[in-house]
Amino acid sequence: MTQTASAAKKTASTKAKSGSVAAKASGPKKARTKKKQGTAFPFTAIVGQEEMKLSLILNIIDPRIGGVLVMGHRGTGKSTTVRALAEVLPMIERVKDDVYNRSVSDYIEAEKPKKGAKAMTPEDMTIEDIPVPVVDLPLGATEDRVCGTIDIEQALTSGVKAFEPGLLAQSNRGFLYIDEVNLLDDHLVDVLLDVAASGRNVVEREGISIRHPARFVLVGSGNPEEGELRPQLLDRFGLHARIITILDVAKRVEIVKRRHEYDDDPQAFLKKWTREQNKLQKRILQAKELLPEVTMSDEVLTDVAKLCMQLGIDGHRGELTITRTANAFAAFNGDKVVTIEHVREIAGLCLRHRLRKDPLEVMDPGEKIDRELAKVLGEVEEV
Amino acid sequence: MIAFTDIVGMDLAKQAMMLLAVDPSLGGVVVPAAVGSGKSTLARAFSGIVSEDTPFVELPLNVTEDRLIGGVDLEATLVQGKRVVQHGVLSKAHEGVLYVDSLSLLDSSAVSHVMDAMSRGAVLVEREGLSEVHPAKFMLIGTYDPSDGDVRMGLLDRVGMIVPFTTQNDYRARKLIVNCVLGKRDAEDTEDELKMLRGLIEAAQEQLPLVSMTKEQMQGLIQSAVSLGVEGNRADIFAIKAALASAALAQRTDVDEDDLKLALKLVLVPRATQMPPQEEEVMDDMPPDEDMPPDSPESEDQDAPDDNSDPDEEEEEEETPDMIEELMMEAIETELPDNIMNISLAAKRKSRSGSRGEALNNRRGRFVRSQEGEMRSGKVAIIPTLISAAPWQESRRAERKKKFGEIKTALIINKEDVRIKKFRDKSGTLYIFMVDASGSMALNRMRQAKGAVSHLLQNAYVHRDQVSLISFRGKEAQLLLPPSQSVDRAKRELDVLPTGGGTPLASALFLGLETAKQARTKGVSQIMFVVITDGRGNISLQSSYDPDAPKATKEEVQQEIEAISATIFAEGVASVIIDTQMNYLSRGEAPKLAEKLGGRYFYLPNAKAEEIAMAALS
Repeated sequence: MTQTASAAKKTASTKAKSGSVAAKASGPKKARTKKKQGTAFPFTAIVGQEEMKLSLILNIIDPRIGGVLVMGHRGTGKSTTVRALAEVLPMIERVKDDVYNRSVSDYIEAEKPKKGAKAMTPEDMTIEDIPVPVVDLPLGATEDRVCGTIDIEQALTSGVKAFEPGLLAQSNRGFLYIDEVNLLDDHLVDVLLDVAASGRNVVEREGISIRHPARFVLVGSGNPEEGELRPQLLDRFGLHARIITILDVAKRVEIVKRRHEYDDDPQAFLKKWTREQNKLQKRILQAKELLPEVTMSDEVLTDVAKLCMQLGIDGHRGELTITRTANAFAAFNGDKVVTIEHVREIAGLCLRHRLRKDPLEVMDPGEKIDRELAKVLGEVEEV
Repeated sequence: MIAFTDIVGMDLAKQAMMLLAVDPSLGGVVVPAAVGSGKSTLARAFSGIVSEDTPFVELPLNVTEDRLIGGVDLEATLVQGKRVVQHGVLSKAHEGVLYVDSLSLLDSSAVSHVMDAMSRGAVLVEREGLSEVHPAKFMLIGTYDPSDGDVRMGLLDRVGMIVPFTTQNDYRARKLIVNCVLGKRDAEDTEDELKMLRGLIEAAQEQLPLVSMTKEQMQGLIQSAVSLGVEGNRADIFAIKAALASAALAQRTDVDEDDLKLALKLVLVPRATQMPPQEEEVMDDMPPDEDMPPDSPESEDQDAPDDNSDPDEEEEEEETPDMIEELMMEAIETELPDNIMNISLAAKRKSRSGSRGEALNNRRGRFVRSQEGEMRSGKVAIIPTLISAAPWQESRRAERKKKFGEIKTALIINKEDVRIKKFRDKSGTLYIFMVDASGSMALNRMRQAKGAVSHLLQNAYVHRDQVSLISFRGKEAQLLLPPSQSVDRAKRELDVLPTGGGTPLASALFLGLETAKQARTKGVSQIMFVVITDGRGNISLQSSYDPDAPKATKEEVQQEIEAISATIFAEGVASVIIDTQMNYLSRGEAPKLAEKLGGRYFYLPNAKAEEIAMAALS
């Protein structure tokens, strides 16, 4: 379960054999990489909790959805599910061994050549495939490890001020996961808000000055009973999945059995689920490819706007999130045209945390959203 | 040291520990018990029944974050001139026992780290330039005194077995412990007994893979978890494991009724959030607070059984529904001893003198960043100090060589290089809301009061403040929500708050004071009472706790309130009184209360909820 962050690091340092470089006529050279099989509990073997699983999948299909906050009962497999995510993620291309996981074009743009030096061309570079990184940010992390800091060993041994990238660098173009996000220290929350808003991490400390891209899908989980999330951070999450204890005894028996089977022999269990895992991964890839072709009619868009207005949601983030999420959802289902039914399925996920807080409101936000949508569509009489 | 076998009483706790020794994946045992019940002796004795090379690590309450998680070893780093890693307490307990005494006094960030390590089986160190994973699979043995406050449910959930709070056999056990200390028992006997016990456990470990449970038994356990409203899936797994371990201890290959009963008692019942559904109708018109101590770990549980209903009778009527359900009822009954009230009150009186944990807060909080400073003025931040010294090494060495000739030190650190750790105090305020729910609060007044509280709660959570909720009605005040950051929970408690009965204002103030003192020991310095009442206390503190006490006169009640108010004021607790009394009925009780508490006074009927919220928080 802990392989995520360190695996990303390891991949970065793996030396590719020079002989295996497949030279192409033009464009960057490519190093061969093997995808490592993880040992986390398989994503597809998780029983129930469809809302959470769907939110994560939609974020893989379109990372611009803006991440997901998973809140709910303890012991319901929140962190197990997120940590299982790594295994179904697609591969991305990055400049070989780049600590910021940059693509060739990002790399060239950022590393402007010094005066007089020859401009970089893609042909000069080697690229490699890496799995989309999933980085675990533990609560006890210090700011220097999150943002990166001066490399102390280099500083001591050679007196050189070199930058040692932090978790934000590792999570660029990937997922950044914070368990118990509602307990995260305020100063780290501030850092995250900053970086999430700008997509870049700026480090100005201990005499170094570095800026690097840090665009990640933020995934947080927690139990609301342990504490509330700061409103600004809440607002950062594209989707809000709720998770509750499964009450169906048969399902719970199945959960226990699978867990037992996994604990008994993880390798055998993983093997048993390989097919399902591959199937899901393929479906996600297909959805990713289909996504650019997915369209939403003006009619549906108008209904979405009306819904947000009815619910009194500030700004345009509500509409934007619904649109992106509905597109991704349609793509996941193999549909090229977004219908209002797609919207209905995901509206709760997109808007639940954006409703204005009314202390005396007793209705569940999900229900309220459904009701308002029905009103917008003229399915029920206005009360 | 007193051996496991010498401890008398606490049978259930001992059984739990035996099961844990058989199957360490049960995660741990938590033992709530009053001071002096021998709980910590028992916890330490646990190391006597596991194999000798099992690490036993005690987690001190004042542990710092870097000691807990691990970090850079200063001495070794300085000597070797390169970063040397020191493992934290959590990873030192790997494949062994992590013992925490007074679990409920453990700092909340430390609790989070323990929780995280338990769910990962490892510690992720992302600190001070380190990025490492240290294995940390341990059994947690935790003890606590419920009168010190609750343990976070998130942590309890990760521990397999929670021993029901009991105080029985207390005296007998203590006497035996004393005897044992005085050497009245033969040391050889003890060693033989321990050997036998270890043999039993080893045999059970071998037996364990052979034990199985029927599908019906598994379904039965899970059904019980559902009826008890147990959150999540961890408990299901733990309950099954406990039953299997219990059967293994008895050298059986299948699980029997006793095993299931034990699993219910130790795993499921302590996590109940509701009573099984069939009890519900009885509860509706009964005040739920009669049997519940205000600070029991089950204080979330509104539906405590009451004296007027006889569960046995009901079971007979209902023609044996399911064996498991019956077992469950039995387990629940044994879980709430009727003398529970007296005991926790006794503990309360003791802590009133404030003997516990007053000095725990020194230099605690979270290490945030470092800044230049005098070495003596705080804790030195090693890495930042080294970093600031690093660039100058070459030039300093050269310079010193010029002055003094040959130099031996690897590093030359000057005064101006020193960086001091800056700690963040636990900021934020604890708001203790005391809501008068007595009959004299008319229903619409109550709605207004709830509105005001909700607004305060909304504002409080923006500032990362903590809230706690006390309601008072009938005979005594009740702690509905111990200090927590969860506005959700506070609101939920408010929504279902029943009203009616007398006004035990004194009891509320007293309970508030206790809650405030506990919070202080956990590092919360700013505390504010928000009392929503008409100020007409008419139940004395004594009659709150002693039903046979003679009815106090109005003056006596008033004197009590004044005395407690003065203590609260002297403790430096700020107060806000929100008066809900109609103008024409008021005899000025609430303003008087505000005066005694040295607090601010607001008159609710004229004010809007938001205005009060703003005023109280400004």
